[in-house]
Formats: sequence, structure tokens, C-alpha cells
Amino acid sequence: MNLAVSRNRISKGGLATSKRRFVTSVTLPLLLYESIGLFVLGWAFVLMFFDYSPGRIGGAILGLGGSNPFVGLGNFIEMIKGTSVQANLFRISLKNTLIFAVVVLPLNLAITLPLAWLLESIGRRFKALYRTIYFLPVLTSSVGVALIWMTMYNPQSGWINAIIRAFGGTPVAWLSDPRAGFANVSVAMWAVILAYLWQDYGYNMVIFIAALQGIPQELREAALIDGASPWQAFLKISIPLIRPTLLFVCVMTMLSSFQVFDIIQVMTNGGPGNHTQVLILDIYKSAFRYQNMGWAAAESFVLFLIVMGVTQFQMRVMRTNWEY
Amino acid sequence: MKHKILTLMLVLIFVLTACGGGTPTATVPEGVAPAATTAPESGEPAVLRMWVHTNNAFIAGYEPIIAAYEADHPNVDIQLENFDYELYLQTLQTAMPAGEEADILQLFGTWTSQYYERLAPVPAEVMTIEQAKQTFYVAPIGGFIVNDVLYGMPQEFNMEYGGVLVNKTKYEAAGLTYPPQWETMEDVLADALKLVKKDESGMMTTAGFHFTSADPTWASFLAGIKQRGGDYWNADQTGFTFNTPEAKAQVQWMLDAVNAGVVDPIVFNDETNFVIDAFFQGMVGIGYIGTWAIAEGQANFPDFTDEWDYFYLPAIQGDPVFVADSGWGLTVSPNSKNQDIAWDFIKFVTTDPANATQWNIASGTIPALPAVAESAEVAAAMPWIPKALDSLPFGQYMGNMPDRDLVMYEIIYPHILNVLQGVETVDQALEAIDTEANSTFE
Repeated sequence: MNLAVSRNRISKGGLATSKRRFVTSVTLPLLLYESIGLFVLGWAFVLMFFDYSPGRIGGAILGLGGSNPFVGLGNFIEMIKGTSVQANLFRISLKNTLIFAVVVLPLNLAITLPLAWLLESIGRRFKALYRTIYFLPVLTSSVGVALIWMTMYNPQSGWINAIIRAFGGTPVAWLSDPRAGFANVSVAMWAVILAYLWQDYGYNMVIFIAALQGIPQELREAALIDGASPWQAFLKISIPLIRPTLLFVCVMTMLSSFQVFDIIQVMTNGGPGNHTQVLILDIYKSAFRYQNMGWAAAESFVLFLIVMGVTQFQMRVMRTNWEY
Repeated sequence: MKHKILTLMLVLIFVLTACGGGTPTATVPEGVAPAATTAPESGEPAVLRMWVHTNNAFIAGYEPIIAAYEADHPNVDIQLENFDYELYLQTLQTAMPAGEEADILQLFGTWTSQYYERLAPVPAEVMTIEQAKQTFYVAPIGGFIVNDVLYGMPQEFNMEYGGVLVNKTKYEAAGLTYPPQWETMEDVLADALKLVKKDESGMMTTAGFHFTSADPTWASFLAGIKQRGGDYWNADQTGFTFNTPEAKAQVQWMLDAVNAGVVDPIVFNDETNFVIDAFFQGMVGIGYIGTWAIAEGQANFPDFTDEWDYFYLPAIQGDPVFVADSGWGLTVSPNSKNQDIAWDFIKFVTTDPANATQWNIASGTIPALPAVAESAEVAAAMPWIPKALDSLPFGQYMGNMPDRDLVMYEIIYPHILNVLQGVETVDQALEAIDTEANSTFE
């Protein structure tokens, strides 16, 4: 055998071995990590078919069966037509979550998009300052935001009611009056939505600013030369061109709205009269306060289906086939 | 071949992961005393972990008792670990199925019916049920007995019924007789009306009688049913009977009190102006809450300068019959390798009069031991306890419910609060309470 060929083969064999070792050393930990994640998801998937509580020992295999019996689709049937307190709370929570998400998304867009446009049109020196100011609430802890707004909403000592009193109005128990409402939504839900919007709007605003900065200036200038007003240029040029960003913002805002938890737990804990009880809060209470893990897993699956469905719908409606 | 190896590895990983979260490795069948424990090797200390929920007053009560026990037993090391209340619940629920819980577990007695499958029964040589009933008040020991098996020993008589904080400063400012001379609940309402204050817009700024938090609401609801001669259990305790004339009369009484103006439940409830916070900020004349609130209020509001004291309400009618939870107590994990030491320690904490006295005074709780409750030492440290002594024998255990918290906090309280806030009628609320509470048995 030719010596050079032999050396080449050894060298290639050594490289292949090194590659295999590298792939194995990288893949195995990843597989282990992924398998844990998959196990948790699989466990939740299995649990939703059982009346499972960690307080009960149950059967021999992972505590399933026995005093944690298999109920098949029983949890889902109960959600639809049951009269139990869990079923009632689930339906209320689902309705409240939908209200929250449907109200938050357009309000968020109505605030963040014009604000981003305005910020884009001011001088560079003030742009950074305002951007920082508007983004600060995003960096604040949700619990801190909730406590601040609770203080402002306090019926006796909050400054919102103080202003109302100063103008001779009737103060409102913003977070605790189940009778007060507007447009068939309780005033407590509006109060929570306002606090949530205040904390969240800076995030979308920054994304919109980045998108607006990415639009070629010539397009806007051409429109203005052709006689379009700034408003028309915004509507007819800017908005269509940031449609992919709009899709991203819509999907992300909708997702985070469906997952709202901490701000509501601190501000109202679902009250008054369950008017702000949302799905994640209900799932949390079912699982960890009332140990009803099977039910909580079934609720989580329903939430997953809803979020997936809504996201798919948004992507179909708003996707574009072009780039600039 | 590579695919097969990879598949095998994946299956192995799944199986190993699954085994990690499996059932406990050792359980003790109901009614059977645990086997003799593994005695620590000579010279090696027996280390026992003890889990409690975070309550600084409670922890301050445990620490000297643990130190005293360790001094008596140099070979024993008890490590106290505490968790915030919500985190404690989650930790119990995840650790117990994995068999990773501590040796000694602080448990609210009423929870025992939910956890008993994962708890060790009290060995007969440590204490029998009969001995337990003779040692402790009926209400606190009741929750630790499930299916005629004793699972723990109580430390406190959790009396949510009947106790009220009274603001002396406000009483005197309103020209009322202090201490209050209440013969009937109508006397209480009469005083409360004179303590109410509103601002110029009509919003209540001082509640005369704040009884609209969750615990006072369910406690007075259940006691009201009992005092009127009714019951909320069916004959064999397999279901609830909440839609009764006695229940209706009690909710109507509460609604009448609200309509009379002693409290505005819109701005004084469990979430807004919770009774402890509101009382110790000077926004309540008479605040309905258990004695446990005293230590918490004093700790959280050290600058509160009003004078106040703790009193007990008269019965709505007849004897002051009431129902109570089994309060906090101690249990043992069936997975503990030192169960005999754990039970010996628990007996030391709960039945030794000196230790029980020390813990109850430190935690500000009503003793579960009658002898301690009646002691001069407790009376001197907690002057409100002697006032409760006449009522304590009337306390009954509320009964083992499938999910006590769900019934109290998600069914009874929200519906009654709805009635008081004017968004549900009495009949609607009782029908809903009855249906929803009975669904917890399914």
C-alpha cells in the first residue's frame, strides 16, 4: 500500500472519531435535557385523563389508578357541562381570559403603534430619553407594578379616587366592587387591564420603532412628494410595510395575554366575584392550592389548544409573501 | 444498529426519569404501627428534618423546644426548615409522591384527610385514639383522625368563630361603654353602628363590625346553622345540606347586619381592607378574626397606637356551639427512618405541658391541651384565652371534607359575599353552595 494513502486514511479515521466523540458529547446532554422536558409534557398529557391528586398514593405505576382513577375524557366533559365548582370556575376563567386578551391586544396596538410613530418623528436627542422612559415599566417587576396600582386604586386613600372626589364625583371601589362595570366588563377587569397595559406597552413600542426605522426613507418621501399627508403616509406606507412585525407583535401580545397571572394574582386574586379569575390563575389554584392535578392538566391542555388555534389564525390572516 | 442504541438510550432515560418521580419507597398500611426504626449507629447522630410553614412566631416557639429535646438527646439532631405558606403546600405535594419529604411535617389538622395515605399512623404505644381524645380538646384532635386511625397530634385549637378585636380608643371616642357588655348579637350591632365612619362622599372609612373576610364568614355561617339547631352534614356525613332554613336564617341575619350599615362589604372584605390590616390601621371598630391575628397584627403594625383588646361574641341563639378546624399539629412521614424518635419528639412538643405552654404563648395560639388553656401562665401571657374557656368545650370538629379549602374559600365565602354585596339572593347563594359543595364528593 502506498504510504501517503495509508497516512491519509489514518488521518481521516482520526478526524471521524473526533467528530463522533464531539457529536456524542454534545448530543447526549441535550437528549437528557430534552427527555426531561418531554417527560414533564408527557406527564401532564397523561394526567389530564386521571382524577389525580399528589396527596393520594394511587396505583403502583406513577401513582396512577387506584385512588387516582382513570376518568378518560371526564375532565373535558365536566368542563363543558358540569355543575361542579371547578367546572363553573373554568368557564368563568375562560371567558375572562378571552375578554382580557381581546381587550388588551387592540388597546396595546392603539397605544404602542402611534407612540412609536411619534417617537420616530422627534429629534434624536429626545428620542432616546422618551424611549427609556416608556420602556422602564417593562423592566419593573410585575408584583411591584401590581402593588403600585393597588395603592392608586385604593378606595379610601388612592389618588384616583382623590381626584374623583376633588371634582365632586363618587369614588369607586376599583378592585372590589363586583357590581360596577363598563361595556359588560367589570371595573376590576378594566383596572387590571390598565395596569397590565401600562407595564407592557414599552416592549411593543420598541419593536415597532425598530420596524419603522427599517422602512426605506425614499418610499415615505416619494409619497409625501406625491401629495400624501403624514397620516396617509403612515397608514398607506408604514403600516403595510411593518406587517410582519405587526404579526409578531399580535402573536406575542396575544400569547402573553392568555398567560397573564402575576399581576392579577397580586391585585385581585381573581375577585371580586371571580370577575378577574383567568385561566392560568385557575390552573394554579387547581393544581397547587386544591391539589387537583388531573383537572389542572386538562385545563392546561385546553389553554394550549386555544393559544395554538389563535396563533394559527393570526398567522394565516396576517402573513405576507414579500419582503423589502 | 445506531438507531436501536439511540432508541434504547432514550427509553432508558425515560424510565430513569419516571422512577425518580415515582411512588414512595416505603409505606405503612392503615392501622399498622410502623416497624422499628433504624437506630442510629453508636456515635452517629440521628438527623431528622422538620418542615413547617413560615410564621416567625411559630418558629420562635419551636426553636427552644428543639434545643431542649436535643439537649436531652445528644444523639439527635433536628433540623427545622420553613417554607412560605403557598410554597409549603407545593413542596408537600411534590415531595410526598417522590418520598422526599421531611421526617416531621407540620400539618393543618383538617388537611389530614387529604394527606393521610402519605402519613404514618401514630403507633399505639405512643398514643391511642382514646388517649388522644382524653388529652386534647375534641375539635383539634378531630382532624388528625381519619377512618379511625390517628395520624398526628395537634398544637393549637384553631377557633375562627366568635373572637373579635375591639378598638378601645374608638369605643371611648364614640361614647360607648368599655369593655363592651354584649348580651346578644343585637348589642354588638348597636355598638358597631355607632363606630361607623364615612367620608363626605359616603364611602365607609371605618367599619363598625368587620365580619366580611373569608374565615369569619364561613365560621359564623356554620356556627349560626349549629346554634339554630341545624346541621350542614347529612346523617351519615356523605354529603352536605346547606340549603336549609337554619342556613337561610343565618345568611339573612348577615345580610340584615350589612343593610343596617355596620360594614360595607364592597370595601371591607378578604381582598380589600382585610380585617387584620384594616384593624391595625385604625379602620375597624370591631374586627372578627381568630386569636392568631393578634401576633401577626402586632408584628406587622408596630406603630399602631390605639388601645385594643380581644373579646368573644355572644351566640346568635342558645349555646355558643361552633365548629372548628383542627389547627396546626405535627405528623410523621412513613418514609422516615427515625419514626420512633420523630414520635417521641412530637409527644414532647405537644403533650408536655411546659413545652405546649411555651409554644402556644410564643405563637399566640389557643392551646389544644385543656390543662394548658386553663393555666395561669397562659392567662397571664394571653388575657383573651380565659375569656374563651367557656366556649371551647362547645367546639366541634367540622368534619372531614373532600376538600375543605375549596368548600370554604371557593364556595361558601364567595357566594355569601355575593349576597352581602348585592349580586346574588340568599336563595340563589344557598342553592349554589349546596350544589357545588356536594360536587366535591364526586
